[in-house]
Amino acid sequence: MAWKEVRSALPPGNYYYSGNEAAAEGAIAAGCRYYGGYPITPSSEIMEWIAVRFREVGGVFIQMEDEIASLSSVIGASWAGAKAMTATSGPGFSLMQEGIGYAAMTETPIVIVDIQRAGPATGQATRVGGGDIMQAKWGSQGDYPVIAISPWSVQEMYDQTINAFNLAERYRVPVILLAEQAVGHLRERMDVREKIAIFNRRKEKGAAPFGGGDDGVPPMPAFGEGEKLLVTGSSHDDYGLRKVADPLVQARLTARLHNKIVNNREEIIEYEDYYAEDADVIVIAYGFTARSSLFAVERLRREGKKVGMIKLKTIWPFADTLTRDVGSRAKKIFVPEMNRGQIAGEIMKYTCCDIIPYNQTDGEIIHPTTIMGELRRLL
Amino acid sequence: MGEIKQIRLCGLGGQGIVLGGTILGHAGINDGKWVAGSSSYGAEARGSACRSEVIISDEPIIFPHVTRPDILIAMSQEAYDKYIKDMGRDEETVIYDEQMVCTKEISGLRQLGFPAGNVATKELENKLVANVVILGIVAEVTRIVSQDALLSAIEKNVPERFKALNLRAAELGLALGRAKK
Amino acid sequence: MAGDVEEYLRPGVKTPFCPGCADRILVRLILRAIAELKIDIDKMLFVSGIGCAAWIPSPHFNADTLHTLHGRAIAFATGAKLFNPELITMVVSGDGDLAAIGGNHLIHAARRNTDLTVICVNNMVYGMTGGQVSPATPMGIFTSTTVEGNRERPFDLCKLVAAAGAEYVARYSVGQPSPLVSSIKKGIETSGFSFIEVISPCHIQFGRRNRLDTAAETLKFFAGKCLMKDEAEGLSPEELGDKIITGEFSNGRDQAD
Ligand SMILES: Cc1ncc(C[n+]2csc(CCOP(=O)(O)OP(=O)(O)O)c2C)c(N)n1
Ligand SMILES: [Mg+2]
Repeated sequence: MAWKEVRSALPPGNYYYSGNEAAAEGAIAAGCRYYGGYPITPSSEIMEWIAVRFREVGGVFIQMEDEIASLSSVIGASWAGAKAMTATSGPGFSLMQEGIGYAAMTETPIVIVDIQRAGPATGQATRVGGGDIMQAKWGSQGDYPVIAISPWSVQEMYDQTINAFNLAERYRVPVILLAEQAVGHLRERMDVREKIAIFNRRKEKGAAPFGGGDDGVPPMPAFGEGEKLLVTGSSHDDYGLRKVADPLVQARLTARLHNKIVNNREEIIEYEDYYAEDADVIVIAYGFTARSSLFAVERLRREGKKVGMIKLKTIWPFADTLTRDVGSRAKKIFVPEMNRGQIAGEIMKYTCCDIIPYNQTDGEIIHPTTIMGELRRLL
Repeated sequence: MGEIKQIRLCGLGGQGIVLGGTILGHAGINDGKWVAGSSSYGAEARGSACRSEVIISDEPIIFPHVTRPDILIAMSQEAYDKYIKDMGRDEETVIYDEQMVCTKEISGLRQLGFPAGNVATKELENKLVANVVILGIVAEVTRIVSQDALLSAIEKNVPERFKALNLRAAELGLALGRAKK
Repeated sequence: MAGDVEEYLRPGVKTPFCPGCADRILVRLILRAIAELKIDIDKMLFVSGIGCAAWIPSPHFNADTLHTLHGRAIAFATGAKLFNPELITMVVSGDGDLAAIGGNHLIHAARRNTDLTVICVNNMVYGMTGGQVSPATPMGIFTSTTVEGNRERPFDLCKLVAAAGAEYVARYSVGQPSPLVSSIKKGIETSGFSFIEVISPCHIQFGRRNRLDTAAETLKFFAGKCLMKDEAEGLSPEELGDKIITGEFSNGRDQAD
């Protein structure tokens, strides 16, 4: 296996970092040494932090001419052997969609941090939003796999960025850290352990770089290793040779791309359960909203109310089995979101349980008192 | 249950409110506490209302924004007027710059004025370090962070060439706080 | 054996190019330049966008190839080159790809003077998608989207890229094989941004719509239009007309003219 323990880039201890700084440090800890980016609020601190720190750790940083170029350069760097990433927010994330599709098709490990702000369009640049959930999954054409993660704290910005790189390398897939402005700009205590586990892409001389192994994930060579690689976003056979009209090749490739994520979802998907065991009303929340929700749930528990919460850490692939199970136990599922009900809709796909969405799109976080009020009405 | 203190710093953009919050939070970390901090600015960087919040706790913090401030630090009248409404119970403290703020009488609320800006201008010839003078005062009066933790947080958060000035500002603040007790 | 073009062709590949396509010639001319430089092709990376021209390296060249998205070849190449400066990186793509959808990446890479060799395969149309007008289509030319003749001025790509700061800029046609091969060699050897515009006519999409019915006629038509830079010197604008001036326009630290 390509797992190994390495020393953290930062000396172990407690730090007082913003979420954006934590994401940058997480990337460095995971071994990221290429960053191509373009400034945009509220994500720019990630790029600025990288620009300083790469000089110390020896990475390649470049500010490109736009987000399309940023992500394109990141994919190019990944094939040159780098762990590579970019960060952006709404408008830039839109521009990156073609690159995300390309990375999925060519099975390129990359990490994108999207610090969601209030949209649509330019929206409110400094205010919080959570409207990119579906875009992260469906933003590029043609139905492709991605992994998306939703961190709720500065600690998770650090830990989950490391995880994002591990998943990207393990499954050769684009991984999106779907954070929110409220977490990116939050400052918190961040604990750095002495050692972390990282996964480096598997290599195997001469093996088909698009062939898939037992788990559907092929090894990945780099340019310059004499493998005479054919990398293309057009449909291709196991060796990357373009096959633009062969139904069998097309069917096999698209199925494998999908299955290498879906069939491994038990290993990919993470969530946390708070008091959900015996709860009548279960909140399903993610990101910053899960913190407001947990605060509300704990208050109500102290009053003896049977409420609980599931915090989704992985957004894509979606936790279908978990949702089915929660839906079969709960009387009601409450889904507070900083969008018009994107995850609530996803939950409805897997359960007939009564789903109550709560949608707030005013550029503010959902406050615990709001959630408490809504839950009281449901109990 | 461990202790949780919620602190709100407010004033005008350009007064170093956000940096003040960061230093205070960092001091909390130095004391081994759990800390969460966030800030918000008005539309422009300078001269508009600015707020920074810090929570310092003995335990992990679930909701990281201030819900009920225990301590309000006010460096402008506008900010004081806006946030004083959230105060008014026992065991809460307001610390303000007496040159910048005229207080309202609120029974039971401890409101302490200090010449932070004045001291910064007169003794350090730099009114920009009034924020750090105030932090010294806050540390001494409320004990939410220790002196050592504060001084080392200052060292970590200000540029090298302003270190001595800021450390001096903190010492002056500590002394002002001590005098008032 | 270095020096042999056949060695550099990927075995078993059936070319997708139309019979008579000038890009077939260019496949070999690029490889000849590499062969003459005796470069180990395993140290090279070929990046292309989308279009007929983008198929020149992928799959023909038996080397590392990165066939990217329409317009983005230079941005992909930038990331690979910066991360691994050992990779001798060449971009081969069409006029539409590099100058329309990818135009911004082109001028920015020239401005940064990134160490890439960019071969812009100019057939003056969008060949792959059916011969629509491109930013390099001359005025008056009929395309599938300029049915009354093109009314927009084309870019002078060499001037554009030289003005943006490229280290080496040249233009030749596939009909001038030996200066073209030397130019590609210079481009590869230049550290910094090299841009070589290659006139590589498409008789199917360009020729037929403009009364040039065969590949040979189309090539002949362009051969008659190409003038070397020194031949063009001293000619009046009227005498120059719609001639295509070929030669080097920026070499090393020389200023663009
Ligand atoms: C984003 C996007 N838009 C449009 C296309 C369709 N398309 C494919 S090739 C091409 C034009 C290619 O023209 P050029 O670069 O000049 O190459 P040529 O085929 O002429 O060699 C276009 C528009 C695409 N693949 N992607
Ligand atoms: Mg063309």
